[in-house]
Amino acid sequence: MSRLGKLLAGWTFRTATPTFEPGEVITAYVSERNGDGLTVRIGDSVIRVEDGEDAAVEDKIRLEVTSFDAANHVGTGDVVEVLGPDV
Amino acid sequence: MPEEPDIELSFRGGRLVSALPIALFIAWAIFQSGILGIGDTTGLVAGMLTGLIAGLLFVRGDWKDYADVIFAGMTRRVAATAVVAWLWAGMFAETIQVGGFVDGLVWAATVLNVGPGLFPAVTFLLAALLATGIGTGYGTAIAFTSLVFPAGLLLGANPVLLFGAILSGAVFGDNLAPVSDTTIVSAVTQDADIGGVVASRVKYAVVAAALAIAAYLVAGFGIPGVWGGMPHIDVAGEVSASVSPWGLVHLLDIALVIVLAVRGRHIIEAVSWGLLLAAAFNVALGAANLVDVSAGSMLLFSAPQNGLTQAVEALPLVGAVVETVPAGQVGVGGSVYSGAAGFFPLIVLTLLLVAGAEIMRAGGGFDAIQELVIDRVATTVRRAETTMVVGTALVNATVTINTAAEIAIAPYIATLGKRFNINGYRRANILDANTSALGYIFPWGGGLLAGYGAMQGLVGGEATPWFTAEMLVNPASVFPYVFHGWFLVAVFLFAAWTGYGREYVSDRTSEEVSRV
Repeated sequence: MSRLGKLLAGWTFRTATPTFEPGEVITAYVSERNGDGLTVRIGDSVIRVEDGEDAAVEDKIRLEVTSFDAANHVGTGDVVEVLGPDV
Repeated sequence: MPEEPDIELSFRGGRLVSALPIALFIAWAIFQSGILGIGDTTGLVAGMLTGLIAGLLFVRGDWKDYADVIFAGMTRRVAATAVVAWLWAGMFAETIQVGGFVDGLVWAATVLNVGPGLFPAVTFLLAALLATGIGTGYGTAIAFTSLVFPAGLLLGANPVLLFGAILSGAVFGDNLAPVSDTTIVSAVTQDADIGGVVASRVKYAVVAAALAIAAYLVAGFGIPGVWGGMPHIDVAGEVSASVSPWGLVHLLDIALVIVLAVRGRHIIEAVSWGLLLAAAFNVALGAANLVDVSAGSMLLFSAPQNGLTQAVEALPLVGAVVETVPAGQVGVGGSVYSGAAGFFPLIVLTLLLVAGAEIMRAGGGFDAIQELVIDRVATTVRRAETTMVVGTALVNATVTINTAAEIAIAPYIATLGKRFNINGYRRANILDANTSALGYIFPWGGGLLAGYGAMQGLVGGEATPWFTAEMLVNPASVFPYVFHGWFLVAVFLFAAWTGYGREYVSDRTSEEVSRV
């Protein structure tokens, strides 16, 4: 990101419930583990991942959004890559 | 560096007992600084050491594991990064100060002939500029109270308001400067690059600063100077005769550090270049007799008098940084020495605090507190951010040394924020704004005490013979006037509630942490 871009990023009122498009690949931390599945909260929007055995809570992952219901702010996704925890 | 496998510790009394070293430290800090009014960082080191020993007594099983966890904590990268940044930033800041930078700012204010109504607002701006350049709010509070405060009184400005304006400027720089210790801690602990953190922070700092300037203008013209009977001297004539504008050339080496930092150079590299340029300026200014500075101001070996040392003193080049003194005054000095040494207690405290945090992690104390907060309080992103703002503010309002408070609360901000995928920049900003603000507001705040100490030095001082003990500002009376601090907290409460400036991890990820 350019210097100016860094300075100008985020001068907005960001929603508590961001929306995503199916097919979109995003980076995010794992919020919770439930059995084999993961819950990723981005603000108050929730993306559930069925098979995420390799990832732990607070691990950063790349995930592909497979569906998203904008009315209820919930979606599903698949793990593309586990990037691991911050050092 | 390969990470060693995490050791788990078990404590008599349950997981929360692993918080004992840090809890005891916080209680010690409140007792020492809040109740007894002693702002001594080395005293806090003793508190943390006591806490670490107390925790040992509650460990189930092998005490060696406890010791290993202390080592694991102290060798974490976050600790090393902060140590390196402080040493370099300390040398740089001190070298600029001996180069007459503050004098340059005073000169600029006096030639513009600023009156008593305008003086607090202008003082806030200049203090903010200095603090942003040198990165130390404490240093700014000390320098401005020693140099600008008496000038403002002579002009007829209100002393309480003026002291508040100085502290506000210190808050601004502590919050925004790339070389500020709190900025560095906030970025490192939230896994974000310092340049990106500073750039993303501007949107909050300027809103609060604009409100603060307006408030200082209104108050400056609305509240009269308290001591109307004081001698009013033509400060413009009085001060400009004694201070030199040439220290302002250090704006160039500050700019160099900022440019290199924004270009993503490593902090050691960026500050080293700034330091070399500042040293070159100092030698040139001193040689031309423009500022009272020399190579010896930056590094000076004060050696005992004997044949050998006197021969060394007479040498060219090397002799410039060697002087011979009576036996009682032997030592090493100068800005490179004292700038780095000033951070030694804080460095040791940081290493021990990180060790204490590691024990809390290994013993499950963090998990226990987090589960409580996450399950009961921070159930939505708005409530999570509000919890982060209020929690940071409370810890910083009670612990004198704000950097220490920041290090203690930082892991909570990281975990709570990551749970809702709040961007590393945003987390660092929430953490640092409240850390910077609250450390300068209350009478036991380290920044306020630093400035007050400088003010006590004015009583009967050589340059201020008219300043008496009755003129000292009561430290407990200044808190309503640290406008920038209050506005900064207010801006973040507003931002948490409305989403102003909020960014998620999925919006953009922060860059590598060791970049400035």
